[in-house]
Amino acid sequence: MAFERRKRTESPAAALQSLADEELMSLVAKGQARAFETIYERHCGAAFSLAYRMCGKRALAEDVAQEAFLSIWRSGGRYDRARGSVRTWVLGIVHNRAIDALRRSVVHERRRASDEGIEERFEARERTEVEAARREEAETIRGMLDTLPEEQSRVIELAYFGGFTHSEIAEMLGAPIGTVKGRMRLGLEKLRGQLAPQGAM
Amino acid sequence: MTNETNGHARYGDDVAPWLLGALDDDERQAFERHLAACGRCREEVAALRPAVEALPLAAPPVVPPTELRDRIMRVVDSEAELLQAAGVQADRPPARKRERRPRSLLGGLRPALVGAFAAVVIAVGVGGYLIGNAGSGGGEHVVAAQVSFPSAQASLHTEGDQASLQLANLPSPPPGRVYQVWLMRDGAKPQPTRALFVVRSGSVKIPGGTKGADRVLVTAEPAGGSLQPTTQPVIVANTA
Repeated sequence: MAFERRKRTESPAAALQSLADEELMSLVAKGQARAFETIYERHCGAAFSLAYRMCGKRALAEDVAQEAFLSIWRSGGRYDRARGSVRTWVLGIVHNRAIDALRRSVVHERRRASDEGIEERFEARERTEVEAARREEAETIRGMLDTLPEEQSRVIELAYFGGFTHSEIAEMLGAPIGTVKGRMRLGLEKLRGQLAPQGAM
Repeated sequence: MTNETNGHARYGDDVAPWLLGALDDDERQAFERHLAACGRCREEVAALRPAVEALPLAAPPVVPPTELRDRIMRVVDSEAELLQAAGVQADRPPARKRERRPRSLLGGLRPALVGAFAAVVIAVGVGGYLIGNAGSGGGEHVVAAQVSFPSAQASLHTEGDQASLQLANLPSPPPGRVYQVWLMRDGAKPQPTRALFVVRSGSVKIPGGTKGADRVLVTAEPAGGSLQPTTQPVIVANTA
């Protein structure tokens, strides 16, 4: 396979594997493709899962993930470790790209995607340890979201995963904008409170 | 500062919607200006941010297709080769010190091909001319663009801070590519815009207008758009 050949000619993959994300990003900033590939391998699962959850369609999710990772490659020098982990940064970029893609698409299609959830599933057959850990993490956060009052989790999900603006959400729910914003804040505060004791993240 | 307090009354409710990405572009920009000056909002952002950062992890895990990785790495490998050939280590722009949100992805341009690109544009000889200008009241400004396809036409329409390209009979971009709009000022590096399109005829809005640029370019780029042009421009228009 092409990748195998390339790996042998450049920095040994094993050496890169042992580097922290932050160290890899400084190599990405210097244009090192293999360092980028390692970052991709570490975060593509979470990134693609987010894109897929938001877009609800495989092809669009792939486009979003591709745009996001290429922009990460091209702007590698802009990662600032003072602002958080590489994973958080990567997922933030995927989120923004997905929102842009959703806002370009027709509203009723978006509503369908976010209301009905996922149209097709292609979960991992062979579960590696990493995948199992990710699944567990997703279930934990999902569980926390589920403990919020439905009206709060709903506005958070419509905004974050559905890419809807507060005024679109207000219209969909027939609620005043101020109420929608208030539910967002309350929901995030509760979620924050649940995260704190476990130091999750 | 009274200004800040007043602002807080007006923008304080936008902390959660901003963190969730639920403001529209104008509201987002207004909030971010306020945020820069409001310590209270920054504290609230810092307090709520961990909750938002946990949200993406709630997405049900799905496995990305291997073709996605292959596609991405093909582009990355070819760009890495180009960079190496251009010896870009020396003149790569330094990382920006601070960035408010990862939203402004475009920027941090790689300078590799830019010099050659600027030369091409000059050689093309920009022959835009004024077609019409609805004089009174700052009406619409229309400038014909130079198009490298004989059968196609394009013109640049500006009105206030809105700008768009009107296209007719443009050929489809090559497979896997999209057209991307760029802004140029004083012969400096073309700045990428978020305007990506594949339409052959019709109107393409340039988000944010032409903002002091003196030239608008269009190139065919890989599907996600590029941070610097990778092909020669197919459309060149002067802004005035």
